[in-house]
Amino acid sequence: MQVAHENLNIFACTDSLWDTANEHWSPQMHQDNRPQHTLPRHVRMRVTGAAATATEPPLPDPVVRVSSLTKRYGEFAVVEDVTFSLDPGTVTGFLGPNGAGKSTTLRLLLGLAEPTAGEARVFGRRYRELDEPARRVGAVLESNDFDPGRSGRNHLRALALAAEISPGRVEEMLELVGLTRAADRRVRTYSLGMRQRLGLAGALLGAPELLVLDEPANGLDPAGVHWLRTFLRQFADQGGTVLIASHVLAEVAQTVDQVMIIDHGRLVATARLDELAGRGETLEETYLKLTVKEAS
Amino acid sequence: MTAQFRAELLKLRSTRTNLGLFSALLGFVLFVVLLHGFSLPVEHISRRSDQLHVVFGWAALLGSLFAALLGALAITDEFRHGTIRPTFLVTPQRGRVVVAKVWASMLIGSVFGLIAAAVAIGVGSAALATRGLEIRLGGGDYALLLVGCAAAAALWAAIGVGLGAVVRNQVPTVVGICAWLLFIESLLLGDVGLVGDVGRFTPGALGKAASGQDPLLAPGLAVFLLALYTAAAVAAGWVATTRRDVV
Repeated sequence: MQVAHENLNIFACTDSLWDTANEHWSPQMHQDNRPQHTLPRHVRMRVTGAAATATEPPLPDPVVRVSSLTKRYGEFAVVEDVTFSLDPGTVTGFLGPNGAGKSTTLRLLLGLAEPTAGEARVFGRRYRELDEPARRVGAVLESNDFDPGRSGRNHLRALALAAEISPGRVEEMLELVGLTRAADRRVRTYSLGMRQRLGLAGALLGAPELLVLDEPANGLDPAGVHWLRTFLRQFADQGGTVLIASHVLAEVAQTVDQVMIIDHGRLVATARLDELAGRGETLEETYLKLTVKEAS
Repeated sequence: MTAQFRAELLKLRSTRTNLGLFSALLGFVLFVVLLHGFSLPVEHISRRSDQLHVVFGWAALLGSLFAALLGALAITDEFRHGTIRPTFLVTPQRGRVVVAKVWASMLIGSVFGLIAAAVAIGVGSAALATRGLEIRLGGGDYALLLVGCAAAAALWAAIGVGLGAVVRNQVPTVVGICAWLLFIESLLLGDVGLVGDVGRFTPGALGKAASGQDPLLAPGLAVFLLALYTAAAVAAGWVATTRRDVV
């Protein structure tokens, strides 16, 4: 895991990927082509049901392992018996209608809520037991988790202080997401897109190996969405793992390797996008078939 | 732990909220001390205990009140704005976050109490001198006022953190603290004396006694008893924070 961690140095580049002069995305500046730590594709994807042959390297331990995860409030099950695992180097879309249990699953995974039954482990441990969680996992659960009266820079600095991350890293992340010029303004004055980028900067502070993002493209302009997609792909190609909860299928379809679909708290499908394509199905068809049937 | 403490200190310093609280504290101290110093009849503010109680002593109540609000906002702001999520993601050992907030709030809270006392002493003395009244407080009284107000405000700041951690919702927490200190305790328990001598041992009264305002209760004992309330509030906040989900 540490190897992958050290190779995630794309964030260390000081060249801005954003045009800070006018706060617009400039994807053409994304030219960091240093050698990448790339696992063979068959290793990065845990193929369900496929037996590994003796000649293949052993599969790495899953980054995320969720087993029979259940969360009930009284009689009402928000998440019920959800089981999945995520391998290094994958980008996974976590899809489902509003209220299906996506956000609750992420909160259970990240130790913000305690499961009623089952368990969720990241890097083999419960999140709360990780030694330096900010250096292993970066997460954005809501697009507006900021004090409106605090500047973007001070928001990041407070997180960096708590995680014992250098102030220089804060400046690098501000540069990466193109907020250097706006860094001393209070978050109150930020657009939704800027808040998304500030949230991402906070998640990336510790150069984590796992990114957990809830609706990360919400509020981003098209260039921003393109930048995010390229960024996440590169993150995964260097051994990082990404879990994106979303209900914007078109966005997810272009970003992820595999999808998990949750509905009424239950995982109703897990599929690789190329498997879907092989069956001649679009993601939208699969999604609607599964979630609308469940709903009716 | 040090890391969390430094983070909490930066949070307290990096919005205008606490500057606003501090300004309001200064404004109230000025207003109340001047009002009493100038408007009360001479016979009510000639004795040492009266001067201490009705002129200078306001610093203890106001310092405690605003320090408690500072502590309460330190935690309820995080729930209100959702910053509690990134805070707990970085420090999933939530007890550490609570303890760091307690220490950081106590530090700033003690400054609140100290400055409130200093302003009350300065303005109160000026008011009494202007009216030609002899000031009967000595150096020891002033020292006790400064130290006692700082201690009471620090402890009340920690009570604010504990209460805020239990209630989480900002408005009820703030209203509850104000109602308790300004209304319930002052009127029902203290001045009106509905429940006899109990009023002497309520946390607000102990804050005043810490600066020598209760002739029957030693300041050191008052601080100790107030610290017991503080420990209970912090323990409740600690338990509530570590056990409950964050949604």
